[in-house]
Amino acid sequence: MNETFNPITWLTRSRWCLFGAVFLVASLWVPTVAWSMGEYSRMIIPQIRYKGGNYKPRPHAIESLLGQTAKRTSVEVKREARDMDLSDPDLFLYPFIYLAGDSAFPPFPDADLKILRNYLNYGGLLLIDDNSAKANSEFDDSVRKLVGNLFPNIPMQRISKEHSLFRSFYLIHQIGGRANIKPYLDGITIKGRTVLIYSSNDLGGAWSRSKLGHWNYDILAGGRFQRKMAVRLGINIVMYALTLDYKKDMVHLPIILERLRRSNLR
Amino acid sequence: MKFFSGPPDIRKVFNCQITKSFFKQDASGPKGLFALPFLNWFGIDPEFNHWEIQWSLPEYAWIGPLVAVLVLVSVWFFWTSLSRIGSLNKRLVLMTIRAMALMLMLALLLHPQLELKKSRELKNSVAVLLDNSKSLSIKSAETGGTRISQVQKALQENTAFFEQVKEKFQLDTYFVSDHVQSVELQEGNPSYKAEAERTNFTKVLREVQKRYEGKSLKGVLLFSDGADLGQPDEGISVELLETLTHFEVPIHTFQAGSNEGFKDLGIESLQKGDFGFVHQPVRIKVSLIAHAMGSKQISLILKEGDTVLVSKILKISPDKTRYPVELEFTPHKTGKRLYSLSVPLFAGEAIDVNNSKDFQINVIRDRIRVLHLSGRPSWDSRFLREVLIKNPKVDLLSFFILRTLSDDVAAPTAELSLIPFPSNLLFSEYLSSFDLVIFQNFQFAPFIDKKYLLNIKEFVQNGGAFIMVGGELSFQGGGYKNTPVEDLLPVRFESASKSLLEDEFHPALNKRYKYHPILQLEKDSKTNKSAWTTLPPLNGMNLGLIPESNAHVLATFPKQGEPTLYPLLVAGQKGIGRTLLVATDTLWNWNFRSVGKGGSGRYFQKLWKNIIAWVTRDPETHFIQIETDKEKYRVDDKPLVKYRIRREDYNPDPQKALKLVLASLTSKRILQTHKLVTDDRGEGSFRFRSLPEGFYTIRLEDQEPDSKLLREIGFGVFSDHFEFQKPLVNGSLLKKMASKTGGTYHLLGDNVNLDSIKIPNEAVFFESKSKTFALWDNWWSFGMIVFLLSADWWLRRRAGLS
Repeated sequence: MNETFNPITWLTRSRWCLFGAVFLVASLWVPTVAWSMGEYSRMIIPQIRYKGGNYKPRPHAIESLLGQTAKRTSVEVKREARDMDLSDPDLFLYPFIYLAGDSAFPPFPDADLKILRNYLNYGGLLLIDDNSAKANSEFDDSVRKLVGNLFPNIPMQRISKEHSLFRSFYLIHQIGGRANIKPYLDGITIKGRTVLIYSSNDLGGAWSRSKLGHWNYDILAGGRFQRKMAVRLGINIVMYALTLDYKKDMVHLPIILERLRRSNLR
Repeated sequence: MKFFSGPPDIRKVFNCQITKSFFKQDASGPKGLFALPFLNWFGIDPEFNHWEIQWSLPEYAWIGPLVAVLVLVSVWFFWTSLSRIGSLNKRLVLMTIRAMALMLMLALLLHPQLELKKSRELKNSVAVLLDNSKSLSIKSAETGGTRISQVQKALQENTAFFEQVKEKFQLDTYFVSDHVQSVELQEGNPSYKAEAERTNFTKVLREVQKRYEGKSLKGVLLFSDGADLGQPDEGISVELLETLTHFEVPIHTFQAGSNEGFKDLGIESLQKGDFGFVHQPVRIKVSLIAHAMGSKQISLILKEGDTVLVSKILKISPDKTRYPVELEFTPHKTGKRLYSLSVPLFAGEAIDVNNSKDFQINVIRDRIRVLHLSGRPSWDSRFLREVLIKNPKVDLLSFFILRTLSDDVAAPTAELSLIPFPSNLLFSEYLSSFDLVIFQNFQFAPFIDKKYLLNIKEFVQNGGAFIMVGGELSFQGGGYKNTPVEDLLPVRFESASKSLLEDEFHPALNKRYKYHPILQLEKDSKTNKSAWTTLPPLNGMNLGLIPESNAHVLATFPKQGEPTLYPLLVAGQKGIGRTLLVATDTLWNWNFRSVGKGGSGRYFQKLWKNIIAWVTRDPETHFIQIETDKEKYRVDDKPLVKYRIRREDYNPDPQKALKLVLASLTSKRILQTHKLVTDDRGEGSFRFRSLPEGFYTIRLEDQEPDSKLLREIGFGVFSDHFEFQKPLVNGSLLKKMASKTGGTYHLLGDNVNLDSIKIPNEAVFFESKSKTFALWDNWWSFGMIVFLLSADWWLRRRAGLS
């Protein structure tokens, strides 16, 4: 038989199925190429475990935020929950940590305060999230005592709307979470770097999704738009941790300012 | 001004001196009241020649009248109580005894003390201050002689006056400028020359004041032109005024020279920074002065060697003295650059040295412009960016790829802060304006067209610097195999099949490069070695990199059980540019993780500082180092040159034979040649003798037959012409100094007669010793009272009274 080879006719349905099966198996066999060197290069946000109170009212908050970060940005994440004590020797492998709660908690021991102070002074970032969705909550009271003990000479202040946090990825005009307790974030800035960010609006509640992709908690006031803004704010906080004031470089300013101007006109 | 010293008066305010009496006698021995042998009986030194009784008077004013009333009442009481005694004599005797007893008791209440003192007469002093600053060398238009010759003439013509002063006073002579130097006043003193570099009357008078503490200075004769640059043009500074107020001794001033017919064109002052940046304009401010120059146009010329940098025409008019001028030029070479600024010299000018001025500017490179591209935000890129942005020598432009084409941002562009990546502009037009390009975990496609990679290669070959920092998007992972970037880097890429390693490891330093500038985290080699061992481990690295033969493999990962050393830190040279790769994206462990281990991010910062310095060919990283111990020298300085020779691997080059050549920069003439040898550390130094004013170059050559030049630096030796900045005579200042202190002002002319100067010469004494005795607190005084009262009682009994 002297037939010329025609790839179109040769690729019958059965052969396609066979190739598909071989590719699937092969892909399982071929070792996956490491996506970065060691997990520490990927974004992991440990949640701080503390005694007393409820340290994890939104168990899926961080996983959900990391999922959105991976989906929307070029940041490489490790999408898993990791709970950690401040005294954990591995704390300094993760320059961004998350502290949440919805009830009062006792003051941190001096040793933990010292570690946390060191952590923040030398490059770390702490996001504190009040999940109680109540104004002047018991958690809020405990947080303010904690921050007072942590930085007795630096008061926590409202973070300006001009801060890089609100333009590190998205241009953010509205600040909220699951609740809308305060239309702003508080924070502490040392030598030009914001080292502590405090949200009273239950950001974690707005981020949390189940494994099937459903939102775990209803938004209390602003509906979908508020949740969208809360997710964007979460991504901006991640970007700020990784790029700091990068968006304030002169090369970015003209374009960002023009967009802000147009947005204000609308 | 305090001319006398003695023990401080320890008595309180209410003390009172009743008697003060001097028995004039010289120091040879006592001739007064106390030169009696009974002083010896009391163990008192018979040398005392002055005594004083001191009383302690109560401080309340009403005490005096009260005592007076008490005395009167007592006298009345005594007299009436004795009225029964018939004999007037007896009454008078008793009255006298009682009055004596009363007076004695009152006297004891006042605590009398006898103070014995030893004093000697002092000889009063007169100070002659002769200004010997350089401005005294300026010729007077009237006489044609210098100002200093006028002073010398005045001293010569008044020898008799000074002889008379010498007989009556202690005559001290000083050269004064900005300090005081004691000299002998003698005719034609050969050491009296106008050579001191500046005048400062405030400093001089304060020093004179200090020298005469405890002495009796009665007059000061100041011979000067009054040209003190520290004083305002029309007036007197607050400091000098304050000094004169407290001087308390008349200063008689004698003005040398005058401004009549004074003609001069000169550079009064020049303001410039010590540093300038290469290729950046340097601005200098100049102030010219013109006295009696008429109306003309002059040229102001700024030169570097023989090259004219700036020339400016200036119109001089008779009605204006000062001319501020600004000049700007752009240096194109780094190092200590030597410049000369000049105005023309016209006939009849009083001074020629202020017609040109030499100066030096250390031209350094501009801030290092760094283009930093990060393929994705990560901890490694964040901590590197932080180091770069905090480095004051760096101008940073960074770009992070925040989203890729596959990312779903779920928002329109207007709601994002993202900007398009301007690759065309960066890698075509602006690339040459950067000094360093860093690709950190950055895949060039689709952000940079492949053709621009060739531009990066040319950029490096022409002197630029390039660093690639590891990650999955670097090297083979970034698609750089078989691209111009692979040619640039000091490694070859293997296939991409095993590109990453996730092991935790401590890198091993290559001993061959232990002196490499990049690896110097500490100055001392032992401390440096220990610093590397304290760093936390890294967590992964890029594989498949084969160093080229001429690459500097500075650090590796020696994986256990494998023969290959995985290169971690590799430096290389392409064309005249330098490149470096870091085959990991976990170098940030040496920053934040180090803090967690009780250390700091100091070594991470230092390592990156070293890397940037080396790739951008900072002079500090040159194999041959030569430097002078000072930025610029004065004529009496002895310049010290230090040198250090390193081989290409930065190891010391010991016993290296060198030639040090000193040449004049202006004439190009070789002035000195010295043969030198480096020590075991490849270092050495050489100190020149004092050099005359001028610009010099030092060339370090090897001693091969063709004498290859290794390095050359320049330096300047400057003579201080500060005194000629304001060369005019300041007669008004001399007048004010005289009037403020009660002295007189005189103008030195043809015939100067100093006989009119009157200096007071009253006697003064210097108290050298004193001793105090209480006259009340002893048995004699109390015994006397008891005796008087007893006598009174006995006489009354005898007179028949009880």
